[in-house]
Amino acid sequence: MGKSFLIVRSNIRKSKGQTAAIIILILLAAFMFNLWLMLSMDYKSNFDRYHDKLNAEHVTLALDSNTDEFQTSLSHTLESDSRIAQYRLNNCMHMAGRFPYNGGEISSWFVFMDKQTAFTRSIGKIEVVEEGNLTSGVYLPLLYKTDDIDIGKPIDIFIGRQKETYTVCGFFNSIMMGSHNCTLIEIVLTEDKYTGLASSGYASPATLCSIRLKDISENLSYEALLKSMVSQQQPNINMVSNCYDTVSQSRYISQMICSGIVSAMAFFVLLISLVVIVSNIINYIQVNMKYLGALKAAGYTSRQLICSLLWQFLSLSVLAAIIGIGLSYLLFPAVNAMMISQTGIPYTMHFLPLPFVMSLVVLGGTVACSVWFASRRIKKIEPIVALRCGIETHNFKRNLVPLAHTKVPLPFALALKTTLSGVKHNITISVTMLVLSLVVVFSGLMKENVIEDMTPFLHIVVGETADSCIRVQAETENDFLREINTDSRVEKSYLYTFFNVSHVGGAELMAAVCDDFTKINNQSIAIKGRLPKYDNEIALAAKYAKENGFKVGDEIEITANGNQEKYLICGFTQISNNLGRDCSLTRAGYEKLGMLTNTSYYINLADGTDIDAFHQKMKKKFAGGIEDTINILTTIEGMAGVYVSLMTMIVIAILALSAIIIAFVLYLLVRTMLNNKIREYGIMKALGFTTGQLILQTALSFMPTTILSTIAGLILCSFIINPLTAFFLNGIGIVKCTFAVPIGFIAISGIGLVLFAFATVCLLSLRIKKITPRALLSGE
Amino acid sequence: MKETLLKTEKLSKSFSNGGAMQHVLKNIDLQLYKGDFTVIMGASGAGKSTLLYALSGMDTPTLGKITFADQVISGLSQDGLAVFRRDHCGFVFQQIYLIDGMSVMDNVLSAGLLVNKDKKALVAKAKQLFKAVDISEETQKKFPTQISGGEAQRVGIVRALINSPEILFADEPTGALNSKTGLDVLDTLTRFNEQGQSVVMVTHDMRSARRGNRILYLEDGVILGECDLGRYSPGDAQRHEKLSAFLNDRGW
Repeated sequence: MGKSFLIVRSNIRKSKGQTAAIIILILLAAFMFNLWLMLSMDYKSNFDRYHDKLNAEHVTLALDSNTDEFQTSLSHTLESDSRIAQYRLNNCMHMAGRFPYNGGEISSWFVFMDKQTAFTRSIGKIEVVEEGNLTSGVYLPLLYKTDDIDIGKPIDIFIGRQKETYTVCGFFNSIMMGSHNCTLIEIVLTEDKYTGLASSGYASPATLCSIRLKDISENLSYEALLKSMVSQQQPNINMVSNCYDTVSQSRYISQMICSGIVSAMAFFVLLISLVVIVSNIINYIQVNMKYLGALKAAGYTSRQLICSLLWQFLSLSVLAAIIGIGLSYLLFPAVNAMMISQTGIPYTMHFLPLPFVMSLVVLGGTVACSVWFASRRIKKIEPIVALRCGIETHNFKRNLVPLAHTKVPLPFALALKTTLSGVKHNITISVTMLVLSLVVVFSGLMKENVIEDMTPFLHIVVGETADSCIRVQAETENDFLREINTDSRVEKSYLYTFFNVSHVGGAELMAAVCDDFTKINNQSIAIKGRLPKYDNEIALAAKYAKENGFKVGDEIEITANGNQEKYLICGFTQISNNLGRDCSLTRAGYEKLGMLTNTSYYINLADGTDIDAFHQKMKKKFAGGIEDTINILTTIEGMAGVYVSLMTMIVIAILALSAIIIAFVLYLLVRTMLNNKIREYGIMKALGFTTGQLILQTALSFMPTTILSTIAGLILCSFIINPLTAFFLNGIGIVKCTFAVPIGFIAISGIGLVLFAFATVCLLSLRIKKITPRALLSGE
Repeated sequence: MKETLLKTEKLSKSFSNGGAMQHVLKNIDLQLYKGDFTVIMGASGAGKSTLLYALSGMDTPTLGKITFADQVISGLSQDGLAVFRRDHCGFVFQQIYLIDGMSVMDNVLSAGLLVNKDKKALVAKAKQLFKAVDISEETQKKFPTQISGGEAQRVGIVRALINSPEILFADEPTGALNSKTGLDVLDTLTRFNEQGQSVVMVTHDMRSARRGNRILYLEDGVILGECDLGRYSPGDAQRHEKLSAFLNDRGW
């Protein structure tokens, strides 16, 4: 141990620069590793902690009826169900609506509750986070607190087609109804405002049914079952629901995306660090062959020498990992703030022993394995041979670039010789550039499909989008259709509306109902087969189909409104806004289960049309016949804004990180190369090579591998990026990504990457200036 | 009248050794002539190698002036000195210093291509030089660690001569070789000198020194004297006696 420590100390002293670079790489890996574990392990658990703290629902159902008879009947049903641990029925009001948010609009189903009821509910409690001393107005979920939506400020809330202006009194946390990702948004009104809304008739009187189950894992199936039971008893009742599984996943989509990216980066940096360590050790053995031979001759065993390397790298890695983990805690508040703005659920940072231990074990373990793997060669060193042969840094099998025959100029030829003789360097560069190529392609993909133009991302995440959505009452439908068919501003209109149906023996599914699927804007939602044409056809979510073993051509039994019907699966779709639990039916197909209770029309308008003015005109024309209008573009802008800023930050962070990684890897390689070539460069300087020529030669020697691995990496990654993204987004129902790969951006970034590498090597090679022929000749 | 190739005026070189200045060369005034085989002799630590490095532009003097032809080289930058070495000098080192990663031929061509862009002519010249020093075509393809020390030093001489330098500097060229191969190397240098190549050689070996026509004796950084031996002739017995007497007078 003591002897090994002496060698460790000597090795570290001899290579301070390399040691520092390896520490930084491990530090970065530990930083991201711990961040990922904190986000994926505890951040999600925070939802459960809050869920328990607020005694939140496992299944929530908002039903458009609050008669005593209805509530008594529902109560009987729930009382007799042995799966229910606790339930509560509260009077509320229920209506689809919207309010301005983040430059756009939030459009969802609103559950209006009076303050007294909301603050005293035993199930689905709310936690008031901020409150002014105002006595009349509205309380909103904390997620919606912005510069414009704040205590004391007015907010316009559209309830159905009516606008109400309230003063914001405070903000609260609600687990199951605190975000537009929950399907239901809880809005708490002071008593006067609640009474006012009730008497206005703008929102339907409703019952909020909050259920806690004995076995939480049954939440998904129980939601479907309960809705089926209710629709059998009350066939035409409008109900909107959510459940634990859906909400816990949908509120954490951003966190899942972010932690997926961080985890990928953590593993990439770790991989690069390990390759660098292995390369460093192999080089150390080569350069110090005589020294190691001398140590063996002096009585050191191979085991002691390997142990000294293990000690050296393990102690550095553990030290770097602890600093990296510390750094992740230091920067976590910024990440936390970003995440809270997405999830709407506060998270209090605290020390997490498990991620800490896991990070140390994984990093320490992989480093130890790599060191052992690379240093095994020491066992084969025989003292006499090592002392005699010394450094073996060249491969004498073939002279691949004979200067007498090569056509390339001298600097290129000499650089090529260096390239071909440095297998370890080439492997390290290749791995680094391949990983960074993936980062570049991913960044390009996000820039093109999310940051600059969100349409492709929305096509995958949201499914169908148009300019306008107008919800029309059934009796007004024909007049409305006649009107829009003659309106020159309307380019295209089609029925596109959503209903909840249940797979018999399976889960609750959201059905997209359309009168003609050939008219929808986003045809890419059908990823296999096709969208339904006939009333006996259904297109099923690919994720749900995969989970349940369905193939195209199979039959599936669907129930809604107390009716059951079998459909033929004609294709698979992906729409992630119900986390992969959805299906598509034709209007005629759905009507086999019951009549449409509302008809939402999606409308494409001519360029330059004022969407809001168009809505106003329609509302005026069909006063009472139009239930709601949604400016989809504005709504998307509101929701997309947060995704765009999140993705912009992620892309900037990973690109900056990539620059740091490449700089450190190149620093290590250049440093090692210069240490190995100090004699050669001394000779060359003595022969008349200038510093500039040697710097150029060094930089050029990195280029063939850098260029080839970057090109190969970019091409390969361009092909695998969509499947890889789909793999990471599988949790939200994405099984196939069809993002456009931005060739121009990737090509420019690739050139940038190579130029950056070239400039970095030139900069790092300035040390060549210090190499003097005199130092070589005088044996310095 | 001999043509001056290189001239020094009050050339001094000092090193800082743990804070104390060590004056290795002291005000040396010296002229080197074209076609001469100049030998610099002296005991260890006399400053022979330091003088050679300064003359050849491997190192810069602390004080004084070095002029090559009409060019003052003592004030040149490191890159300027590199260009000077490349264009005007050839070097043969005691430790040979071939580049291990390059074949014998490439070691020579890497130096040659720095100056001469006509690769065809350069390769022909390299082959001619290899032939002159008895390096076979087979050996030309080998790598430095695959050839003997004597062969390596002869390759070193070819490398030094590939650019037809005006002056060839040799620092103890036989120091790392055995007696037989050392003799071969000296024969080679002598032969090239006979063909007009100016040579400056540092040595502390009398057998090597006998090859020179001009012997400079250095002690404590000062040239104590010089001896004109005339052109080398293998059977010249008086030559040895003359050199011995010169060195004995200076306490050798």
